[in-house]
Amino acid sequence: MASEEVIRAQGLRKRFGRLTALDGLDLAVAQGQLYGLAGPNGAGKTTLIRTLCGLLRPDEGEAHLLGWRMPSTRVLSQLGYMPQDYAVYDDLSVLQNLEFFGELYDLRRAQVRERANELLELVELTDRSAQRVATLSGGMRRRVSLAISLLHKPRLAFLDEPTAGVDPKLRRSFWDYFNRLAEQDVTLVVTTHLVDEALRCHVVGFLNAGRLLTQGTPDEILAETGMSNLDDAFIALQERGEEGR
Amino acid sequence: MKSFAVMRNVLRRIVRDVRTLVLIVILPLFFVLLYGNSFSGSYKDLTIVVVNQDNGLASVRTSEVGRITLTVDLAKKFVAALDPQMFNIVVSSNPEEATASVGESGVWAALVFPKSFSNAVVNAAVRAGGERKVDYEGNTVTLLPSDAADGPKTTLTIDDANPLAAGTIRAALETAFSQMLATQQSSLTPEGLLDVHALYGGKISILDFTAPGVIGFAMTLITVLLTAMSVVRERTSGTLTRILIAPISAWEVTAGYTLAFSLIAIFQAAELFLASTLLFHIRFAGNPGLVALIIVLFTIGLQGIATLISTIAKNEAQAMQFVLFLLIPSIMISGVFWPIETMPPAIRPLSYISPLTYANSGLRKVMLAGRGIGDISFELTVLGAFALVMLLLSVLSMRRQAYTA
Repeated sequence: MASEEVIRAQGLRKRFGRLTALDGLDLAVAQGQLYGLAGPNGAGKTTLIRTLCGLLRPDEGEAHLLGWRMPSTRVLSQLGYMPQDYAVYDDLSVLQNLEFFGELYDLRRAQVRERANELLELVELTDRSAQRVATLSGGMRRRVSLAISLLHKPRLAFLDEPTAGVDPKLRRSFWDYFNRLAEQDVTLVVTTHLVDEALRCHVVGFLNAGRLLTQGTPDEILAETGMSNLDDAFIALQERGEEGR
Repeated sequence: MKSFAVMRNVLRRIVRDVRTLVLIVILPLFFVLLYGNSFSGSYKDLTIVVVNQDNGLASVRTSEVGRITLTVDLAKKFVAALDPQMFNIVVSSNPEEATASVGESGVWAALVFPKSFSNAVVNAAVRAGGERKVDYEGNTVTLLPSDAADGPKTTLTIDDANPLAAGTIRAALETAFSQMLATQQSSLTPEGLLDVHALYGGKISILDFTAPGVIGFAMTLITVLLTAMSVVRERTSGTLTRILIAPISAWEVTAGYTLAFSLIAIFQAAELFLASTLLFHIRFAGNPGLVALIIVLFTIGLQGIATLISTIAKNEAQAMQFVLFLLIPSIMISGVFWPIETMPPAIRPLSYISPLTYANSGLRKVMLAGRGIGDISFELTVLGAFALVMLLLSVLSMRRQAYTA
């Protein structure tokens, strides 16, 4: 069961004008995996996530999520997505944001309350649940956004830089939570710039110029690059990618 | 039903956003006050300067007692016959000064009556009407036509930079002139020949006539602005992506939006109609339910236009530009002020594709003439079809936005 492929993408290619954002990318992620997507700015991480979710149509290739070819509406109820922008309603309170999206996912009022309590505790916003989102700091808004993305207990979640602007202590508890979710067979794809975050992933994929340069456990990546830490390994991979172009 | 969740969400956000709330509540009132005061349809207190040199006497030949002199004071009667509401009459004794003042400091016209005005009018009337009998010092005498005498004419100097005002002034002067002649029992007035039956008893003012179109235009502007800005904001903030990746169809999202904005439209229309009937007593002869039906169909179509605009617009400012570019012309081509029949044939097709044309026509029939649903079935059909097509396009554009958001 645990080895079932939840994400399978083949030959994904996506161009925006003259820019090639995805360059024939293959990807396979197994159920319950905590998959870290690393790579420099503009490597194509966000485009990859949006294409996998069906928000962008690839020019070539295909993506399957949970066995369905994307874009498909069949997987939507089991899919969680946290975009890079806040994507929350500024004029509503934290709880109202959660309630609205809960309704879209067919959650009953009581379920929403229960999940909201749990998630607001995780993102440490319990005492601000009645506060308007517009009055929150950027980091807090990201935390609201994360709570919304996980509200409906998705089987598969794409989190685009969930910890940007979040302080180190809270970041650590986020990653603890991600690991707990993975233990419950939830598959998570998380983009990150931070090496210590990448170290906590089961598998790390290193993306550069729309191509997956390498993929493996953090130890495997260290071994492959011959480096002693992931920072150096990433830099080596990036340089290798630039030479290969 | 998820559409209701979307509807509640839209309404809830609007209630909490002061800027949008002001747009919804204040803008219709502002519109009513503006057009009510500027389109009240009648000119008031137009200043005209009158120089009356008329000696009031008319010298006429009679068959019984030779030449007699009658005191008729026609210039005075003419001035008395001028509409006191429309004109602010300033009396002057200096013809040159009076004439020169036209166009300056609010003077619209100057009327200079020559000394022989009464004489000229009476003799012209007798010449035109033939012999007639009048009482003169207890006897009946017969007035005889005389040869035309060349005397100085009455001069009217008028500021016609504003053709509408100049036309109104001239029409009012003609009315006063007919009334003055009527006192001399010597002229045939149109009223004497024609038995006029005005369908609405002449009770429909310019304001009544233009109000349906102006209200329709206000609805157009507010609905399209509001919808376009909402959708653009939803897209640029990223929440639209979140909605579209949730298990809710583009149909349900569009229906939710349509419900919310239709409720707002009804609220605004009620505000517009109430304010214009209470403040400016515009004519509202028909069934308010029919008016609501027209407004709902009309605004659903407008929301569709707005959704399409928001697909193209990158941000709120751009959406605003598209809205103004598309909508400002609609008030000119939809028969609100000028009948479509007066437009060049080349432009007329534009009138027929403007939904405001049909909303205006339907509202006019209901509000001015109190017509029933059967009489506006054509307008309802066109507006209904327009709404349906726009809803379909909105759903398609929502789907498209899912891939471009």
